[in-house]
Amino acid sequence: MSHSITAAKQTKSTSTVVQQQPVLVVKRHHLLVRWSHWLNLPILLGLVLSGISIYWSSPVYEHKPDPITGNFDVAADIGVWLCAHVPGLHHYSDPPDWIYNHLSLGPGMLALALRLHWLCAYSFMLNGVVYVAGSILSGSWRSLLPRHTDVLAALKMFRYYIGFPFAKLLRKKWLHPLFNTKYNALQRAAYFSIPVAGCLSVATGWAIHKPMQLHWLAAIFGGYNAARVWHFWLMWLYVLFIVPHLILVLADGWDTLRSMIVGWSRRVEPPQVIAHDH
Amino acid sequence: MTTEKIRHPSEAAKSVALQKLESFFAEQPPQKIQMPPARLRQLTRRDVLSFGAGALAAGGFLLPQETLTRLGVHRKLDPPAKEWFLNRALRLDDDVAEALYSVNRKVSTYTKSQITPLKNNYNGATPDPGYISGWNLTLEGLASGLSISLDIKNLTTRFSLHEQITRLVCVEGWSAVAWWAGLRFDDLIRGYPPVSQAKWARVESSVNLDAWGNPDPYFMSLDLATARHPQTLLATHFNGQPLTVDHGAPLRLLVPVKLGLKNVKAITRITYSADEPKDYWAERGYSRYDGI
Repeated sequence: MSHSITAAKQTKSTSTVVQQQPVLVVKRHHLLVRWSHWLNLPILLGLVLSGISIYWSSPVYEHKPDPITGNFDVAADIGVWLCAHVPGLHHYSDPPDWIYNHLSLGPGMLALALRLHWLCAYSFMLNGVVYVAGSILSGSWRSLLPRHTDVLAALKMFRYYIGFPFAKLLRKKWLHPLFNTKYNALQRAAYFSIPVAGCLSVATGWAIHKPMQLHWLAAIFGGYNAARVWHFWLMWLYVLFIVPHLILVLADGWDTLRSMIVGWSRRVEPPQVIAHDH
Repeated sequence: MTTEKIRHPSEAAKSVALQKLESFFAEQPPQKIQMPPARLRQLTRRDVLSFGAGALAAGGFLLPQETLTRLGVHRKLDPPAKEWFLNRALRLDDDVAEALYSVNRKVSTYTKSQITPLKNNYNGATPDPGYISGWNLTLEGLASGLSISLDIKNLTTRFSLHEQITRLVCVEGWSAVAWWAGLRFDDLIRGYPPVSQAKWARVESSVNLDAWGNPDPYFMSLDLATARHPQTLLATHFNGQPLTVDHGAPLRLLVPVKLGLKNVKAITRITYSADEPKDYWAERGYSRYDGI
């Protein structure tokens, strides 16, 4: 630790000290893109948790009240089912609230959940502007545009990911499909869809938040009730995105993760060269 | 592009324009620089620490204490600034709602076939109908300086009734399309003008009960700009029939540009004022403006 700090100081102060050989690095993410990327983490967490708390007060998915329990909420049914079937949850004190106790701020917190949702929603919109600014300043938006070859290339990537664990088990060689762009077709599809989903979440959010003044916006999504359903499922899109996103970044290694933190990557050569190296 | 491929000048011009367009959308070659490994390590350390600390602090800051406690964090982490931030967000959102409001913008109306059931959403218990016989509406804060009491007959004979089928949206997320009739709040304001500085109306129900059936007076602030909206009614009828106790007999406020909680049932008093009056739900952490 102290050694590297000294080395860093020496870099600044003097050139007489023999340095390690400089490495070639390539700029990968603009500062504003990185900031907005990481800020999405707490903002989306706040939005999802408060959002499910808001959902609790009037569930979109409900059925006729159960004659015995009086329950009408599908999320409560799922909680009851989980507590009955998942080992270790048998003694959970309040099965109908399991979902809300674990995936939201908690049940019965509507006023607080709404205030937190507005705080996070305005932050999310502001953060979106920061992201767009970073994308324009660096020109990185061009790397996200879908190409006409993407459908086939994305299928190849799917085949690669699905076959990967089997190839590992059978100790067979399993080559990564070649591409010479910043992202492969599947990444492009994902990183292009997420900002689009962000815009849709904002639009459906406004549609259900101001259904009278912005009734035309609700109408685009099929009316007030339909816009609520849109808003609900768009949330799951982020959750579904984050799981493989996290797994693949960790599988890809430190350089990929670091590039979203410092902006630079040491992978200077196009991916196909690296693929041949293995 | 080689010269062999270009055959006609027009084709050449087109391909140049196309090339320009394509190169605008094409991915740019990445920018490469040389960097001493120590510098890269230093940058990494600085940014990992600052991004990590920032994200953790933001997450800890956002989550309410009750949620943290449920997650097993028993130390009190709520910073005093959090309430301020949350309230700022709520005020900002109210300002946005107020900016969106226009007295000329009408809300969508529906046909009778689009009517949906409206539940009795009395927050506590539904009052006993006994109050109806002695009911009257008291107006205060009038330009005349008088306190006026009106019974339901005064109101329905003096003012013309208007019908509308509009959506009532609850803060909880559910909504209902319902058929109402009543007098316009604006007509009442014209008939009994408030003091000239008045910007607000305090709308009260003294027959409201809590969950145990005890008196729980309900009071709500309404800006006069919204009260003057042509679709803001003092409703007397629901589905073509005089209001039932469930829906706030004999007179309820119907203000479709506001959340349901501003639509006070069984109104007993309206007080005009220059200053913003208190609001039952704002005192419980909800918005004060509630414009939708």
